[in-house]
Amino acid sequence: MRILIAEDEPVLASQLKKTLVSEGLTVDVAVDGAEAQYLGETEPYDVIILDLGLPIRDGLTVLKNLRSGGNDTSILILTARNDWTDRVDGLDAGADDYLTKPFHMAELSARVRALIRRKAGKATPVFSKDEVTFDTRTNQVMVQGIPTNLTSQEIAVLSYLFHNSGRLVSRTELSDHIYQHEGDRDSNTIAVFVNRLRKKLGSDLIETVRGRGYVIKATA
Amino acid sequence: MTSLRARAVTGGILWAVAIIVLGLAGLSSYMTSQSQARFLEVLETRHSQAVVAVSNNSDTTVGLERAIGDLVYQVPLSGQYWQVQTDDGRVYASPSLEEARLPAPNGRSEAVQRREFVGPGNEPLFAIGQWVPVRDGSLWHVQVASSLQSFDEEQMDLRRTLLTAFAFVAFMGVLGALTQVAVVLQPLNKLRQDVSGRWEQDGGMKVADYPVEVAPLVHDINTLMERNRDIMRRSRRQAADLAHAIKTPSAIMRNELDTLIMNGHDVQEAVDALDRLDAQLKRSFARMRADGTDSTMVVATPLDVALGRMQRAFNALAENEGKTFTANFEAGMRVRMDQSDFEEVMGNLLDNALKWAASEVRLKAELAKDGQIMITIADDGPGIPKEEIAKATQSGQRLDTSKPGTGLGLAIAHDLVHAYGGKILLSKDEALGGLVVHLRLPAAVAKRAD
Repeated sequence: MRILIAEDEPVLASQLKKTLVSEGLTVDVAVDGAEAQYLGETEPYDVIILDLGLPIRDGLTVLKNLRSGGNDTSILILTARNDWTDRVDGLDAGADDYLTKPFHMAELSARVRALIRRKAGKATPVFSKDEVTFDTRTNQVMVQGIPTNLTSQEIAVLSYLFHNSGRLVSRTELSDHIYQHEGDRDSNTIAVFVNRLRKKLGSDLIETVRGRGYVIKATA
Repeated sequence: MTSLRARAVTGGILWAVAIIVLGLAGLSSYMTSQSQARFLEVLETRHSQAVVAVSNNSDTTVGLERAIGDLVYQVPLSGQYWQVQTDDGRVYASPSLEEARLPAPNGRSEAVQRREFVGPGNEPLFAIGQWVPVRDGSLWHVQVASSLQSFDEEQMDLRRTLLTAFAFVAFMGVLGALTQVAVVLQPLNKLRQDVSGRWEQDGGMKVADYPVEVAPLVHDINTLMERNRDIMRRSRRQAADLAHAIKTPSAIMRNELDTLIMNGHDVQEAVDALDRLDAQLKRSFARMRADGTDSTMVVATPLDVALGRMQRAFNALAENEGKTFTANFEAGMRVRMDQSDFEEVMGNLLDNALKWAASEVRLKAELAKDGQIMITIADDGPGIPKEEIAKATQSGQRLDTSKPGTGLGLAIAHDLVHAYGGKILLSKDEALGGLVVHLRLPAAVAKRAD
């Protein structure tokens, strides 16, 4: 899952990034409104965390521009202003949720996870398929009730496929959602991650549609 | 005297009274002198007639009564008399004098004498007398007198007529003055009305709508209002910027502390201090907002716009939590509140309702019979026990700490609503079973046609 953090305060941005990365999410950071809009328009993010007080182009304008351009990525706005008017402006312009500063990181990641889940149309935070369960809140994967250790990249692939279960996901789409903007992209490594997941979680979980991609069939 | 109307009316009345008094005095003195002249002329004519009659009577006293034969002298005490006195002291008089006699002449001067005295009927008489030489060379005193009573009555009549006429003039004058004052002060009344409803139009009042004498004042008021609005806007922006400047570092510190806690360090005191700092900031900014609110200088906020925004925003938030939010409001209502203040109140209350609701929040806004705007926000949450309701609107009271928050939402809404002269009431919602917040807010007058 790829997240864009648009926050001009570098310390806060790096704290946010650290937290989200530690939860298996792929994170890009934009430091001003123009960059945020550019990345938002060109990269397939699952959630954009948008500070309203951005330099160059304020967050509300970025939000409006993205929405008027047909972008329907889930957007969580961050505001340091007390006024409800700011929040209402944001929500009215198409933001999906808001958080006011200062906030707890746990609250932020819970909101981000909820937005991802809602976008995927999933009601519960725990996905399961046959003997495998995946808890999106903790990234805990269990096979027959026994915890399994996965690398962060493996979790990223599994998480994306679970969130999009029942739908065929191409390698390109997968790599778009698990690699950073400026990261090394090699769709062959996707195949490596999938193979590792099959070894750890059983070969039936992820099906390969030759030449097209992967799918986790309907989950409970 | 502070009232322009009182000044103008008093001035008008004093002026009218002065004109009437002077006019009455002048006119009545002129007419009196005219009447006196006429009276004297008649009397002099009668005297001449008497003198001629005496001469024509061949200087005898016999038949004198017939000689001065005017009928007015025949009627007893008619007020018209004559009297002839020979130089040897014999006195002849008109039958109208009956037994009475006019006073004897003073001295023997041949000049015409004019005198006033009391007559036989106790009425004031005016007499003209003269010693005239008769054919035998002796002097006879010929005197005619006329009662002043009818003259006085005539004068009284005249004065009464004049007074009536002038009273009418005075009445018309005062009426005119009042009308004039009303007409002249009309632009000031309009100004007052416009000023009380002035924030209705953002552009201020139209200077061209006022007379040239009032226009500069209108212009000044417009400038003053604009400056006031500017100051309010600026101070709010500064407060918001300050909040922004403080909150980002505060967020950073909080995150660092969270990390330390996760790594097993005891930093609870620092966390508590930061919590206090955040709560204090939030409270202070809310108070700054409420204090900076001037309920007499407010724009009218169309509820269609403001509630429409709240509806869209809270629909999204309710959906996030799998709850439902419904809003019902009549179209065309306008509340006498700054839009951002109104949204602050609604945001805090709806946020609370959504936070505590089990599944549903309902908002309803309508125009009450007394012309105020009634808004109710009801939820199906646990509600607030009766005995805790008073506490709920006090600043920083968190009745239940099981959900995140500063406990300031209700207090902020309460302070703002009160700053605008509105009312806020909490009770149990009969339909949903949770808390219901009743808001009573001042409605703005209907928008002017222009």
